[in-house]
Amino acid sequence: MSIILSLNNVRKNFGATEIIRGVSLDIKRGEKHAIIGPNGAGKSTLYHLISGRHNVTSGTIKFKDKEIQNKPPFEIARLGLARSFQVTNIFPRLNVFENIRCALLWSNDYRYSFWHLLGKQTELNEKAMHVLEQIGLKDKALYPSGELAYAQQRALELGIAVASDAELIMLDEPVAGMSHSEAENAVELIKRITQGKTLIMVEHDMNIVFDVADRISVLVYGELIATDEPKNIRANQKVQEAYLGEVATSA
Amino acid sequence: MGLIKKLSVWIGYLVALLVAPLFFDSILAISILNQMTIAIIFALSYNMLLGQGGMLSFGHAVYFGLGGFLAVHALILIEHETVFFSITFIPAIGGIIGLLAAVFIGSFSTRKAGTVFAMISLGIGELVASSSLIFSDFFGGEAGISGDRTFGPLFFGFDFAQNIEIYYLSAVWVFIATIFMYLFTQTPAGRMANAVRENPERAEFIGYSARKVRFISFCASGLFAGIAGGLFALNYEFITEENLNAITSGRVLLMAYIGGLGYFIGPIIGAVILTLMNSLLSNYSELWMLYLGIMFLLTVMFLPKGFAGFIMMHQTAWVKGSLKQLAVPYLITGIPALLFSTACVAIIEMSASEEEVFHYLGMELNPHSIFTWVIAIIIVVASFYATRRSLLQLANAWESANEIPDSKDSES
Amino acid sequence: MLEVFIFATLNGLVTGLLLFMLASGLTLIFSMMGVLNFAHASFYMLGAYFAFSISQYIGFWAGLIFAPLIVGVLGALVERYGLRRVHKSGHVAELVFTFGLAFLIEEIIQFVWGRDTKNYQYPDLLDFPLFTLFGQEFSAYRGFMIAISIGIFICLYRVLTKSRIGIIIQAAITHPNTVANLGHNVPLVFMGVFGVGTALAGLAGVIAGPVLTTFPGMAAVLGSIVFVIVVIGGLGSLAGAFIASLLIGLLQSYAIASDVGMADFLNLIGVSFERSHPLNDLWTLTLPQVAPILPYLLLVLVLVFRPTGLLGKREE
Ligand SMILES: Nc1ncnc2c1ncn2[C@@H]1O[C@H](COP(=O)(O)OP(=O)(O)O)[C@@H](O)[C@H]1O
Ligand SMILES: [Mg+2]
Repeated sequence: MSIILSLNNVRKNFGATEIIRGVSLDIKRGEKHAIIGPNGAGKSTLYHLISGRHNVTSGTIKFKDKEIQNKPPFEIARLGLARSFQVTNIFPRLNVFENIRCALLWSNDYRYSFWHLLGKQTELNEKAMHVLEQIGLKDKALYPSGELAYAQQRALELGIAVASDAELIMLDEPVAGMSHSEAENAVELIKRITQGKTLIMVEHDMNIVFDVADRISVLVYGELIATDEPKNIRANQKVQEAYLGEVATSA
Repeated sequence: MGLIKKLSVWIGYLVALLVAPLFFDSILAISILNQMTIAIIFALSYNMLLGQGGMLSFGHAVYFGLGGFLAVHALILIEHETVFFSITFIPAIGGIIGLLAAVFIGSFSTRKAGTVFAMISLGIGELVASSSLIFSDFFGGEAGISGDRTFGPLFFGFDFAQNIEIYYLSAVWVFIATIFMYLFTQTPAGRMANAVRENPERAEFIGYSARKVRFISFCASGLFAGIAGGLFALNYEFITEENLNAITSGRVLLMAYIGGLGYFIGPIIGAVILTLMNSLLSNYSELWMLYLGIMFLLTVMFLPKGFAGFIMMHQTAWVKGSLKQLAVPYLITGIPALLFSTACVAIIEMSASEEEVFHYLGMELNPHSIFTWVIAIIIVVASFYATRRSLLQLANAWESANEIPDSKDSES
Repeated sequence: MLEVFIFATLNGLVTGLLLFMLASGLTLIFSMMGVLNFAHASFYMLGAYFAFSISQYIGFWAGLIFAPLIVGVLGALVERYGLRRVHKSGHVAELVFTFGLAFLIEEIIQFVWGRDTKNYQYPDLLDFPLFTLFGQEFSAYRGFMIAISIGIFICLYRVLTKSRIGIIIQAAITHPNTVANLGHNVPLVFMGVFGVGTALAGLAGVIAGPVLTTFPGMAAVLGSIVFVIVVIGGLGSLAGAFIASLLIGLLQSYAIASDVGMADFLNLIGVSFERSHPLNDLWTLTLPQVAPILPYLLLVLVLVFRPTGLLGKREE
C-alpha cells in the first residue's frame, strides 16, 4: 500500500511551550487510523497542523507526495483532504442543505463561479440530498443549522467533512457528547461513508477505536509513543502505563 | 417556491416600476421616483456587502460617487463631441468605474471582515472624499461638476430632456440590476459569500479562500454602486463631493439597515421608505432629519431585522390563517402609539416654532399659551401609558396567533 | 524656523493630548464591551454645548465641573437603555446603533442650540500669554489645556493601577471573558465605564470648545480622527492610543505649519510643469493642504500592513 500522508519530525510551539514534539507518522492509502491519547496531548493541534489551521514550527508534512505544511487550509482541502472539528464548526444561519451543498461546491468544480445558478445544478443538488440522507438529516434539509439539536449538529459536522468525497478524511472526536445509541449510529455511518477512503479519527471510546481502526497511534504529551495494529497496542506496555491503564481503571 | 410564483413576483415588480408614474405623475412625484430607482440599486449593492457578505462598510459612497463623477465627465465628453454614443449607456460607465475602484481597493481591504474591514472602509472613504476636494480640476471642488444629458445620438427618438424619460430609462436599469443582483445570490460565489459571512474559517476548510470570496462580492457591489452613481449623474446632471463622502455612505447604510439586511427585498423597502421620508418630510418640517434619526435608532433597537424582518415575522400567522386575529390587538396598541408620536411631534415643532399661530394637522395651536402645552403634555403622558398597558394584550395575541399545536414555537 | 518648530510642537501636543482624552475613553469602552462607539465625539460635542450654556448663567468653572458630569450620566443612560438592548443583536447592530446615535445627537444639538457657532469663551482669568518666545505668544489657556489633560491621565492611570475597580477593568481588557466569572456585576461595570468614558469625552469638549469653536460640526471634525487613533494605536491598547494621539496631533500640526509642497520637491529634482497641465492640482499640492487626509492615509497603511495596529494584540 502506498503512503498518502507522511509526517516527518513535526514540531509546534505555542510561545515557549512545545505542544507537538517531533511527530513522525505515515498513513497508508485506504487505512482506517485512530489517534488516541489523553486530553491535552495535542491531538487536535496535530490535526490543525495537517489541515493548515496552524503553521508548523519545524518538520514536513507530505500529502500525496506534496509538501503541505504551512499552506493555507483551502489549498490543502483542494488536494483532497477534508476534516471535521471537535467543536462544532458549521454555517449556523444557513440551512442544513446549504451547509452540505457549500461543502460540495469546490470538489464539483464550481470554484468561484458567478455564472452557474445553483437551483439548476440538478446533479449537485442530488448529491447534497444524498449526503443528507446518509447522515439522516433529510427531513431537516431546510432547517437553519444553528437551531439543530446537538447530535444533529454533530452529524452535519460529519456531513460537511465527508461531502466533498475527499480521499483523506480526518475526524476529530466525531461522536463526543452523543448518547450511546446516537454514537452507535454515527459509527455505522462513518464506516459506511468512508468505505474505500483513508480515515484518520481521534476518539476516546476504546470500543469504537478497536472496532473501526486498522492501526492506532498513541499520542502522549505531544509525542507518539506507539503506532501499531490494535492487538499490539492493547498489549503494548508503554501504552498500558501511559494511557490504557487509566481508561481501564476508570471504565 | 414554484417557478410561476417566483416569476409573478418579478413581473409584479416590473409592472410596479412601469405603472408608478401613471399614478404619481406630478413633477415632484416623478423626481421622487427617480431618486427611488437610484436608491434601490445603491442600497441593494450595499447589502451585497453587509447583508450577504458580512462586511460592514462606512465608505460605500466612494464607488457610487466615483461612478457618478466619471459619468458626468462622460456626459461632458459627449457634449463636446469627443465621443459619440447614446447617454443610455452612461450608467454602464459608472458601473465600470465602480468596479475598477472596487478591484483596486478590494485587493487589500477584503483580507479581513469585521472591525478591520469597517475601519479601512472608513479611512478610504475619508481619503477619497478629502482628496476630491483637493483635486478640484477633476472634481470641481465644493461646487462639483455638471453636464447636460440631451446631447449625443437619440435613442429610438428620445433625447431624455424630460424627467419621465429618464425615469423609464432608470426603471429598465433598476429592473435589470435587481435581477442580476438577485441571481448573484443564487450562484456559488454568492452562496459562499453567505458561508464566509457565517464562518470564514470553515469556508477555508471546504476549499474556499475567504478573502477571494469577499473580494468577488466586493467587486460586484462596487459595480452596482457605480451603476447607481451613473444613474444619479443622468438624473441630476451634476454631482458633488457630498455624493462620495460619509453622508452618502451613512445614508445607504441607513436604508439597508432600516429595510432589513437579512432579506433580499429589505434594501428595496428601505430605499423606498427613506426616499419618501427624505422628500416628503422635508417639505413639512425643518426638523425631518431629527425624526429620521429617532426613527433609525428605534428601528435598530426594536426591529433589529428591519421592516422586511417585521413583515416576515407574520409569515407563521399568515400560513396558519390567524393573521386577522392580530388586527384588533394591533389597533389597540397602534392608536395610542400613533397619538403619542403625534403629540411628541407637536411638542417638538411647537418649541421650534417662532410663529404666533402654529398649524398642525389642520389645527391652529398657540405655542405661547400654557394651555396648549399642558394639553399636549397630558396627551403625551396618557397615550404613552395607554400604549404600554396595551403591549401585554398584544404579546398575548401574538402568541396565540403564532401558536403551532404540538410543536415548539419557532419565533423569528 | 526654530520658532515655527517649537510652536508646531506645542500645538501638536495640545491637540494630541486632547485627542487622547477622547481616545482613552473610546479605548476603555472598546476593551470592556467590544463596542467601537461611533458617537464618542458626539459626547465631546455635548460637553462643549453644556459647558457653553452653563457658562452663560454661572460661569466657565461651573461648566468645567458640571458639563462632564451631565454628559457622563447621559452616556450611562444611553448604555443602560439603548446599547444594552441592542447588544443581543450582535456587534454590527451595536456599531450601527452608535452610528445612528451620532447622527441623532448632531440633530438634537441643532434643534436645541441652533446651527450657528456659539460664542463660548475661555475665562478672563486665563486670558494672558503664558510666555513669549521669539515674539510669539503661547496663551495661558493652552497651557491650562495641557495641564488638565495631563492631570486627567495621572488620575486615570492611578485609578486603573491602584484601585479595585481599576484592577477589574484591567482584567477585563486583557481577558475579556473572565470578569463575569469572577462574580462582578458586569452590567454595572459596563454602565460605569461607558459613563466615565463619555464623561472624559465631555470634559475634552468643555476645554476644547473655546479654542476649536463650538458648532454642530465639531463632532464630525474630530470623530473620525479619534477612530483613526484607536485603530492605529491598536484596538484596546491605552498605551497605543496615547502614542497614536500624540503622533497624529504632531503630524497634523507640523504639516499645517510647514510650507512645502509638491512643487518644491519637483524643483528640487529639477522638474517643472506648466500651469495648464491636466494634473496641475497634483503638482501644486502643498503639505498644509494634505494635512487633513494624513491620518486616514496612515490608517489605511497601518491596517493593510499591520492590522493589529501599533501596539494592539487582539485582532477582531
Ligand atoms: N492556540 C493555542 N495557543 C496556546 N496553547 C494551545 C493552543 N491550542 C492548544 N493549545 C494547548 O495545546 C495543548 C494540546 O491541546 P489539544 O491539541 O487541543 O489537545 P487534545 O486535542 O489532544 O485534547 C493543550 O495544552 C492546549 O492548552
Ligand atoms: Mg482535542
